[in-house]
Amino acid sequence: MEKSKSYRGRIRQVPIYLGKCFRAFVYMDDWKVIPMAAIIGGLVSFVACQYVFKTMEGTVNGGFALVCVCIWNGFFNSIQVICRERDVIKREHRSGMHITSYVSAHVIYQAFICMLQVTVIMAIGHATGIQFPQASVVMGYFPADLWITLFLTTYAADMLSLMISSIVTNSTAAMTVMPFVMIIQLVCSGIMFPLTGRVEIIKNFTIAKWGIESLCSIGNFNSLPMISLWNQIFKYRNFEIGGTKPIEEITNYMMDNNLQDEFMKVTAKYSQNPSYASTPDHVLRCWGVLILMSFVAALIAVLFLKNIDKDKR
Amino acid sequence: MEQSTFDLIMKLLNYFLFSAGLFKIFGKFKIKRIWAFIPVVRFYKLSECAERKDEALAAVLCTALSDIFGLLFIFANKYIKSEAILLGIVLLAFTFFVMEFIYHVKVYSGLCEVFGVKGVKWLLLWIFFETVAALVWGFGKKYLPVNRNTEKAAHLSGKTEKETGEGLVIDIDERTVGSIFKRKTLLKDIHLTIKPGRMVLLLGGSGAGKTTFVNAVTGYEKAKARIVLNGKDVYKHFDDMQHEIGMVPQRDTVRYNDTIYNTVNDNAMLRLSDDYNKEGVKGKVEEVLQAFGLTNYGTAIVGKQSGGQIKRISISMEYVADPYLFVLDEPDSGLDGILARSLMQKLHDISREGRIVIVITHTPDRVIDLFDDVIVLAKDANRTGRLAYYGPVEDARRFFEKDTLEGIISTINRKEEGGEGRADEMIEHFEEARNGEK
Repeated sequence: MEKSKSYRGRIRQVPIYLGKCFRAFVYMDDWKVIPMAAIIGGLVSFVACQYVFKTMEGTVNGGFALVCVCIWNGFFNSIQVICRERDVIKREHRSGMHITSYVSAHVIYQAFICMLQVTVIMAIGHATGIQFPQASVVMGYFPADLWITLFLTTYAADMLSLMISSIVTNSTAAMTVMPFVMIIQLVCSGIMFPLTGRVEIIKNFTIAKWGIESLCSIGNFNSLPMISLWNQIFKYRNFEIGGTKPIEEITNYMMDNNLQDEFMKVTAKYSQNPSYASTPDHVLRCWGVLILMSFVAALIAVLFLKNIDKDKR
Repeated sequence: MEQSTFDLIMKLLNYFLFSAGLFKIFGKFKIKRIWAFIPVVRFYKLSECAERKDEALAAVLCTALSDIFGLLFIFANKYIKSEAILLGIVLLAFTFFVMEFIYHVKVYSGLCEVFGVKGVKWLLLWIFFETVAALVWGFGKKYLPVNRNTEKAAHLSGKTEKETGEGLVIDIDERTVGSIFKRKTLLKDIHLTIKPGRMVLLLGGSGAGKTTFVNAVTGYEKAKARIVLNGKDVYKHFDDMQHEIGMVPQRDTVRYNDTIYNTVNDNAMLRLSDDYNKEGVKGKVEEVLQAFGLTNYGTAIVGKQSGGQIKRISISMEYVADPYLFVLDEPDSGLDGILARSLMQKLHDISREGRIVIVITHTPDRVIDLFDDVIVLAKDANRTGRLAYYGPVEDARRFFEKDTLEGIISTINRKEEGGEGRADEMIEHFEEARNGEK
């Protein structure tokens, strides 16, 4: 036997697995995630995104819906990617495959998938009525800000599910764990259900929180009008006190003098949220956290997969 | 009489009655009866009777944890106001209580098996009225352990293989699996040397440890052993040696969504040294595809091939790396006689290139003329895989006094498996024969 032969190292092994991933895109119908993303994105933007970037409420609600789509897509992209071929990985690892190369290939490939999905979602969303503001906070072009935000949100969710897929040992376990993690990501983000007290810290570990903060920031949330108070007041305009209708008098006065918009802007001032500040620093911070989350998830995936040789037969 | 006093008397009564029942049961198993009066230990001893010692350890640990969290709850309830912490303690105590219950059920079901009692009613009695069950089985003369494993395993050889500098030296002291709760010895005392250029059959009944053996030999699942391939310790230099070893697993672990050519080519790129340039890799892949009759299927998708074809792809993936030690776990499963023979002939040819080929197969007789040697693994009385024979195929027939290799398996298989149950006898017989040779 010859001594000290050299073999492909970590970096040179990445293209091998990247090739496998892209062939899976064609042969294993991985491409289907793209039309799926288009359908989900179109449906959600049609139903929930009509007032996104137009009003405060529309931005939060529509933004949350968009973040949900991103997390959903990201989770489904790779939740079974690793666990379904665990036996193969184990065999290849014994033959000299580097886990870092394998995970790196997936990290690159999933970035490609997420990019395609986000591009499709944005195109569909725009076609179904989402109007992009003119102002941009970071990139100088709003669609670019939005694309990066949606991409990083999708990608962070994707990497989280890649991590889950590397921890569990079979597809059934992966599909069982996924809904729990997804619920935590959405419910504990503090957007729809505010968290208070000690548990508030949980929201900082959710992708949804940073995704929605970034969306609201690039959408200039704090300068948008607030319509919910006006709508509530208008709903109660027939309320009578001592034979008079004071609320109707106020609403009529405001409408006669075109003061609704002014009213909405004034009330919006009281609902401004420092977490949605439209500053480049804040948006970059949100993006940074999402990148960090993705990196940590990929790193954990590597650490867990390194123990794959201990898998039972 | 106060309720608490009454409860205490009832608890003491129950304790003594249960102890009395166990006292008699332990007597039937020739276990020191005094243990019957010592809490915790007596349950462990009872599990010894039930041949469920591992479960007992887990049960004892769960009981302890359940009690600790129970006491912690009483303490926390008094001094800690946080509902979340209290809920957490209750949930943990409950979880350990459930686990403890499950392990108790396992021990009691083992006891029912040892006593040869069928049906669920005794098991339920043990679970819910253990004192009554212990008294009945302890004092009842017709309740005797019938299914105890009283056989003695063959003696250990204490042998060590000499290093020859070439070939494969296997010195397995033991291979165990499990956790602190459940430890099992899968292989023990296997010592042999395989010379280069040999095609070796690995024979043994189900559960004899054949796959465990090859995994230990290839270094994929390390045993307490010394494995030396051409003078180099496989365990100590695994990173270097992994390229010299090819292991085709029992199951077809291939990606079904790729083409045959790419599957083999990716493995070649992964496993061949840098001595091979791009053209060299391509040439090697084409050579292997040709050797295994896959040339015309290069662009076909793996998942759309037949079982035999996928098996050949799986073998090609390893063979493309030019392994010196080539191990195949049931490569002929699912293949008809002609395909199996053609595959084995190919493996035989590979061995003639000076490599060592070890094959596990459950249908050895149809291709036995292609093998040089046979390793026979047998389950001893402790259900541990032991070496019952290693040597030329012809000698194996004489040694076991059987015409076929399937007959050999029948000799060493346990009686409950339909065999002759002579494993321990043959293990000792082989050791004597080896010592006689010296």
